[in-house]
Amino acid sequence: MTTNNGHVSSPLAVRGATLKFGGVTALDDVSISVADDELLAIIGPNGAGKTSLLNVTAGFYRPQKGRVELSGQDVTGLRVDQIARRGLARTFQGTHLFAGQTVVENIMIGRHMLMKSNVIQAFFQFGPVMREETEHREAAEEIIDFLEIEAIRNRPVGTLGYGLRKRVDLGRALAQEPSILLMDEPMAGMNSEEKEDLARFILDVREARKIPVVLVEHDMGVVMDLADRIVVLDFGRVIAEGTPEEIQNDPAVIKAYLG
Amino acid sequence: MDPSGVFPTSYRSDRRIVRTRWQALALVLFMGLLLAAPYLVSGRIIAILNMMMISAVIAVGLQICTGYAGQINLGQAAFMGVGAYTASILASKTGLTFLLTIPLAGLSAALFGFLFGLTAARIKGFYLALTTIAAQFLFHFAVLNLPSTWLGGSNGITVPPAELFGLRFVSESSQFYLNFAVTTIMVAGAFGIVRSRFGRAFVAVRDDDVAAGIMGINVAATKANAFLIGAFYAGVGGALWAYLIRFVGVDQFTLFHSIFFVAMIIVGGMGSIVGALIGVFIIRIIQEIIATVGPNIADSVSFLGGDIVFAGMNVVLGGVIALFMILEPKGLMHRWNILKSSYRIWPFPH
Repeated sequence: MTTNNGHVSSPLAVRGATLKFGGVTALDDVSISVADDELLAIIGPNGAGKTSLLNVTAGFYRPQKGRVELSGQDVTGLRVDQIARRGLARTFQGTHLFAGQTVVENIMIGRHMLMKSNVIQAFFQFGPVMREETEHREAAEEIIDFLEIEAIRNRPVGTLGYGLRKRVDLGRALAQEPSILLMDEPMAGMNSEEKEDLARFILDVREARKIPVVLVEHDMGVVMDLADRIVVLDFGRVIAEGTPEEIQNDPAVIKAYLG
Repeated sequence: MDPSGVFPTSYRSDRRIVRTRWQALALVLFMGLLLAAPYLVSGRIIAILNMMMISAVIAVGLQICTGYAGQINLGQAAFMGVGAYTASILASKTGLTFLLTIPLAGLSAALFGFLFGLTAARIKGFYLALTTIAAQFLFHFAVLNLPSTWLGGSNGITVPPAELFGLRFVSESSQFYLNFAVTTIMVAGAFGIVRSRFGRAFVAVRDDDVAAGIMGINVAATKANAFLIGAFYAGVGGALWAYLIRFVGVDQFTLFHSIFFVAMIIVGGMGSIVGALIGVFIIRIIQEIIATVGPNIADSVSFLGGDIVFAGMNVVLGGVIALFMILEPKGLMHRWNILKSSYRIWPFPH
């Protein structure tokens, strides 16, 4: 992708982001850029600023300095929903699902921003609204098929196990048809079987959707297996960047993790 | 929830509200009985039904705002009052037909509600409740203090009867059909709204506004819309009220009334349109019983004095609502859903 001034623009770029909470510097001049169809992992010890970086990217925090760009468009300072509408989806550490709603309803909420009907059409429920609902329900069911959660589609999400909930969370993000997907510690709290399942789905998503994925993760095994490229944060700074092999042998990374 | 063994075969059928032949039959019978009611029951019952239908429109609006979108609203009676006054002034001063005054009453109430909805973007819960109480007092203050040629001041406004093709809706039973038609449209519309993208956005904002934002839902606008829709319903109900009583006065729309609307949706069950209807039915029945029994008690124990008895009646009503909140905090719809799902899998426990 190229912008009008000829620079090659990436689907997502953070440029020189600095984020401070009072005296604590959560991010210090952090720059990352994600290539098309790439799985970028962000790792780092606890408190390194990984989640802060995701929150800046998704618009939850506004950085004091620096910019966030989606496909070359500056989105710094936009509201969360405006950034979501520009093609960014994210899953949460833990889950932020709508617990009382069923799996289908959760995924349909993900379709909200793609639907166009207005409130008067909704009031009278005539032709176009019915067609739109059916169309989007079909898209939601495709995602349900894809994630192999057909059997639980009408169960309230609150009654599901953690692994399945994570899958629904991913499904809801996919329902937005994002052009980039951020995942915040998807593997946390899972057993190895659930991790394998989810890792497979992440690979499937890349295969099917051809979108870049940014993964914040603690599980080194998962990161080393899945990532094309890794960015390491420590104390709010990028201390290393490279392929999994390069990172594994990087003295700065080893020092950050082992002290 | 479908009965055991019944499965939807298309996405369209999966969205249906009336899902089985028996449900359709029950609905037709219910509506048919209501339509025939003026020929079957006494005028007193019709008067009660009229009140119930008007309350139903307003409570359904509150259900959308509070039950679905989670925005606490203690100003619903003020929104109703704005609608009632709009309809009264339009009808008495311009002679506009009710076909226009009712929607216009809804729109003016919606605008008033929207203003308070904007504050919901910034504040939640207790603080929002206080702000919506301000709507009550603002409404009172405006009506009583603006020149009485505008809003009638403390004298109120007399409303000419609704009229269509020379037919005047004066008798209880003719008003019954007017209320029936409007209530049916509004309740059907509410079912439409809550199962559309708007209903889903409301629920998303209620359950988790952080996640709603990342779904591309504009949280502030959604909250304001919830107030707008809820107040529109209140305005339409207020217009019906104006045509029913044929007189509007400021003390018909007090905080007291707002709290009863909240009680209705709590008793019926939050987050359910049918729940709102059930809540209206229960609370109105209790109010009617108290209104009937009260004078009798006052007569038989005259040494207590009428005042104490009537005050006591309000305590009873409040007590019933408090009991509901303690024993059935999720409302009667919740109990009904538990019953339905256990009947569905009977004889197995789960």
